[in-house]
Amino acid sequence: MIDCWWQYSFMQPNHIRVCVRMSSKGDAHQFSGLYMIIKAVFSLLSEVGVEQAVLHRQHSLPHRPVIPLVAHMVDQNTSGTPAMTEREASRLDKFRQVLAGPNTDLEELRKLSWSGISRQVRPITWKLLSGYLPANAERRESTLQRKRQEYFGFIEQYYDSRNDEHHQDTYRQIHIDIPRTNPLIPLFQQASVQEIFERILFIWAIRHPASGYVQGINDLVTPFFVVYVFEYIEEEVENFNVSSLQEEVLRNIEADSFWCMSKLLDGIQDNYTFAQPGIQRKVKALEELVSRIDGMVHRHMQQYEVEYLQFAFRWMNNLLMRELPLRCTIRLWDTYQAEPEGFSHFHLYVCAAFLVRWRKEILEEKDFQGLMIMLQNLPTMHWGNEEVSVLLAEAYRLKFAFADAPNHYKR
Amino acid sequence: MQNNRKEHLYKILVIGDLGVGKTSIIKRYVHQTYSTNYRATIGVDFALKVLNWDSETVRLQLWDIAGQERFGNMTRVYYREAMGAFIVFDVTRPTTFEAVSKWKEDLDSKLTLSNGQSIATVLLANKCDQKRDFLTNNSLKMDQYCKENGFVGWFETSARENININEAANFLVKHIIASENDILKSVVPDTISPQLNSDKEMTCSYWLSLD
Repeated sequence: MIDCWWQYSFMQPNHIRVCVRMSSKGDAHQFSGLYMIIKAVFSLLSEVGVEQAVLHRQHSLPHRPVIPLVAHMVDQNTSGTPAMTEREASRLDKFRQVLAGPNTDLEELRKLSWSGISRQVRPITWKLLSGYLPANAERRESTLQRKRQEYFGFIEQYYDSRNDEHHQDTYRQIHIDIPRTNPLIPLFQQASVQEIFERILFIWAIRHPASGYVQGINDLVTPFFVVYVFEYIEEEVENFNVSSLQEEVLRNIEADSFWCMSKLLDGIQDNYTFAQPGIQRKVKALEELVSRIDGMVHRHMQQYEVEYLQFAFRWMNNLLMRELPLRCTIRLWDTYQAEPEGFSHFHLYVCAAFLVRWRKEILEEKDFQGLMIMLQNLPTMHWGNEEVSVLLAEAYRLKFAFADAPNHYKR
Repeated sequence: MQNNRKEHLYKILVIGDLGVGKTSIIKRYVHQTYSTNYRATIGVDFALKVLNWDSETVRLQLWDIAGQERFGNMTRVYYREAMGAFIVFDVTRPTTFEAVSKWKEDLDSKLTLSNGQSIATVLLANKCDQKRDFLTNNSLKMDQYCKENGFVGWFETSARENININEAANFLVKHIIASENDILKSVVPDTISPQLNSDKEMTCSYWLSLD
């Protein structure tokens, strides 16, 4: 039996005292695992700033300036503006070092990326972590050329068939969903951007007939597209006019977004095949997990007959994109791409941490209607990197504690 | 004990093909707003509308169900215990009308009231402000269609222009209350509900005289 607790004093903001008590010698071998968790959580907290993280755990949201829905879209802290802090500059430096060699050490890159990727290196890092680009720097340019050609080969071959009888349903659904993808961000209302999304989704759908186009997949293109546009511009992306980009640049962004989205979907395809078995399984797993980590919240939901499927279907189907501002999704995906099976497995723990994050609000609701309306409209509009980092640290803790010992912690 | 009002809680489903305006209808009905900025519904969205109904309070749980059904049996989970439904189509897209009977069959096969009847279902011909009706200008045909397919009535609606949304909802609630009384009557045979038949006829002629 190992007990572990930690103390933090506002008098000594740079010190945390961690105490571990072992009741038998046999516990010693478990200690190294525990040590790793503690280390990971604290390295993460140091990213956030420990003071803030602790504050967030103790109180509800402190008074914060209002962040517009999509402004500072990619993130607030690593924007490359003169306001970059020393810590951010040093992180960017580390990234540049890892990326500099002729062969990128992907393991090292993953470790570094787990706690967030600097904006300047995010496009290349995402392409490396997703497996789209090879670790060997020399092969990258030719790979990109080949993949981009391949994608536009698909377009030539298939895109004209979108109005054929056997494809028109697919195309029609995509065509209806595109204007209502990110309807509040002007970037996505531009005709040329909508055409790009239509092509990406149509090609993906007809090349994956087992699932085809499923609503929600349209959202999943967005983070890639935004991050890859960023590769070519300095300014904010939300009001950016893509027609100011060279045609070839825009084509590159389109092809890169297609391939990275494909890589992502390869890992979660059973979320979208008939009857969506991946989602059914994950929603069940979420329910099971929550019943073990927070019995009170779980019983509260049961008491008012809220089924997890009723709110968590969307969490799984859209990878929390509907619950978080886009800038937070991008930060979340830094970690998902750094974590083995991030999108398919770690996401479950993030969802559990996310649900329990609202335990106070959940327990205050005393009927089905109130619970459902609250759970479908969670107030995350002001969230930024800090909140996501705290969420990820908690998810990491849950994964470590509950992944390999499913019954050990059962009450 | 001041508040002696009787309360009713009814679950109402809103179903139909994707992009026909289900979410817009609900937002118009519940929040009195319209926007072109709604995103596609994923799974189910939930809304609540409270009505003063004579001297009673009626709470409507509105279940806005995603138009693209890929989950196989998920609609069964969502349909459970519903008392009424709107099936919506888009008057500018004929395929969405063709899908109406599929939605109705799906609903009837998965859900019946305790007396074996199907739940009160109203057909909504939405986006009628866009005046490209391929069908609803022939109201007799629509009446016939409703009779044949087990709809208690139909309305031309526009969430954008706020046409007939409240009317359709009131009409549905009336039918829900009537079918609830029907059930009560069948459970307790000597309960008398003299309003019932005349009420039904009244609402009937109401929708027939819409045009």
